[in-house]
Amino acid sequence: MVFENKEVLYGLYNDEEELMTAIKRANKAHLDIMDVYTPFPVHGLDPLLGLSESRLHIAGFVYGLTGTATAFLFMTWVFTRDWPIIFGGKPYWSVPSFVPITFELTVLFAAIGMVVSFYVVCGMGPGVTNPTLDDRITDDKFCIAFQTNGYSKTEINNLRGFFKATGASEVSTKVI
Amino acid sequence: MANTHEHSTVHHDHYNTKVDFTFPTSAKTLLLGGVLLGVISLALTYFMFDDELHTRFWTNFLHNSVFFTGIAFISLFIYCAFTTAFAGWHTVMKRIWEAYAQFLIVGLGLMLVMVAGTYFHWHHLYHWADTSVLDPNNENYDYILAGKAGFLNIGWYSIGTIVVLSIWYFFAAKIRSLSLDEDRNGTKDWGHHLTIQKWAAVFLPIAGFTSCAMIWQWIMSIDSHWYSTMFAWYATASWACAAFSLTILTIIYLKSLGYFQNLTDEHFHDLGKYLFAFSIFWTYLWFSQYMLIWYSNNGEETTYFYTRVHMYPVLWYANLAVNFVLPFFVLLRNSTKRKYGTLIFASVMVFIGHWWDYFMMIKPGAFHGAQEHLAHAHGDGHGHHEAAHGHDHAHDVAHSATDHAHDLAHAAGEHGHAVEAGFEAGFTIPMFLEIGTFIGFLSLFLFLALRQLTKASLEPRKDPYYEESLHHHV
Repeated sequence: MVFENKEVLYGLYNDEEELMTAIKRANKAHLDIMDVYTPFPVHGLDPLLGLSESRLHIAGFVYGLTGTATAFLFMTWVFTRDWPIIFGGKPYWSVPSFVPITFELTVLFAAIGMVVSFYVVCGMGPGVTNPTLDDRITDDKFCIAFQTNGYSKTEINNLRGFFKATGASEVSTKVI
Repeated sequence: MANTHEHSTVHHDHYNTKVDFTFPTSAKTLLLGGVLLGVISLALTYFMFDDELHTRFWTNFLHNSVFFTGIAFISLFIYCAFTTAFAGWHTVMKRIWEAYAQFLIVGLGLMLVMVAGTYFHWHHLYHWADTSVLDPNNENYDYILAGKAGFLNIGWYSIGTIVVLSIWYFFAAKIRSLSLDEDRNGTKDWGHHLTIQKWAAVFLPIAGFTSCAMIWQWIMSIDSHWYSTMFAWYATASWACAAFSLTILTIIYLKSLGYFQNLTDEHFHDLGKYLFAFSIFWTYLWFSQYMLIWYSNNGEETTYFYTRVHMYPVLWYANLAVNFVLPFFVLLRNSTKRKYGTLIFASVMVFIGHWWDYFMMIKPGAFHGAQEHLAHAHGDGHGHHEAAHGHDHAHDVAHSATDHAHDLAHAAGEHGHAVEAGFEAGFTIPMFLEIGTFIGFLSLFLFLALRQLTKASLEPRKDPYYEESLHHHV
């Protein structure tokens, strides 16, 4: 697989209201936004960008069920087949005493499974660097980025015009 | 919300909803009909379908009084907790909880009837109320109850109930009047809100301690030998689930009449989360209480669950299914908390489920207590005579680890006296009279709550968090 560097044209905004207005205009003009970066979660941004609801929680539910089954079946096997011991005069298969551990493993499997899935889906892992366009987007700037590989001069000027019209405080390019 | 300044400009389109609630005549008639049905049910229970002690009437009365008073109380508690925590999302709907909380004055009246019943010995729900159990020279002497007499006595039951319910109502009325005054005279220095916040913060610790004491004496003391330190939280969590489900249903009803048009799916999503979370919390307490007692297998503690699991198996397991399994799977997904169909289904089931839960807390103990008392009164000679030895019988049960029918029967009787397990209408399961009484109390509660809502704007427009609430987004 050949990885091509991304040529990015991005604009920085000072306020999330300006950002939202700009995105609405970009959508109207059918501009192809690569991504939007904000220092904190901005309410109402996802539907504007057409992002669908994450399916991570469905995976989480499946991992949780796996944990439930693992814990319950394992304890059932241990206490009825492998090494039956009488605790406090209770039957071997004492379901109430299995519940806390079943609960714990459900949570553990769901949590670890979701974290690992998230890292895999996002392509994150040890040694992976994640270049930022501008350090200030983790502080107080709101950024709209376009990928401009193969764009003509007219198209790029069109994008620059968009940034100017929507009140971006800075416009820059970067190759990442 | 981190970005409140985003909404510094007022969006007038959000104000475009009716806020002056008029109580529809049809609803009024329906609810008053419900109240009438409740009165008829109570009267029929008392005069026609009851034992000599009127146990069925008094347990039904106590059950519904405590359940609905508790919903009023926990609504005030929820309101105060949110206010103290600087929450803003609930502000648009806070008048609902204010209205619910005003039921506390009726709750005081209802519990006064219970107090009178206990004081004048009109019923035998509370075995400790029989003072002969405190006298060492009496054949009824019961050293366990004598040891609890410092708390379980008629004086404290009466005074405690009156004082605590008055305090609760005082806070409900105080906060309500401040909130209504804010509508008329609210200023931009938010003086009203800050005062409400102070009263709310004061109420929280008072509510925490007093609600425990009230639940112990109103409900837990029916099984007068038994006690559990988790019981108060468990019962309070039950109220909370019921309060959230009733809130959801009330709001959906009001929305269908054209009110609360600015209350969106986002608010329902959070209400659904609270219903979901409190159902899990209730399950956690229910299970912890059960498992610790099951594990330690201490006879004087296990009798409570022995009776319920073996004599009320349908109610017992259905309680868990309706109050845990059902809301857990129905409300687990995001989308089901945002749709009326699933929300209404879950809310109705959970509301009935927790009413049922209270039925389970009250009926078995009261029923067996009354049977013993009647057997004793009829010269059976076993009931109270063996009271002092009840403790020893309990230990017998503890020694035997296996499920043995004989021990079961012994454990079931409050004092080790064998009580036959059999179907008893109104005790084993709720019958028509119980359902009628339930509808009566529910109608009364809703009638008074909706009437309160007519008295002020449905939405507190001068509340500092009102604007934030309209823009709530999960």
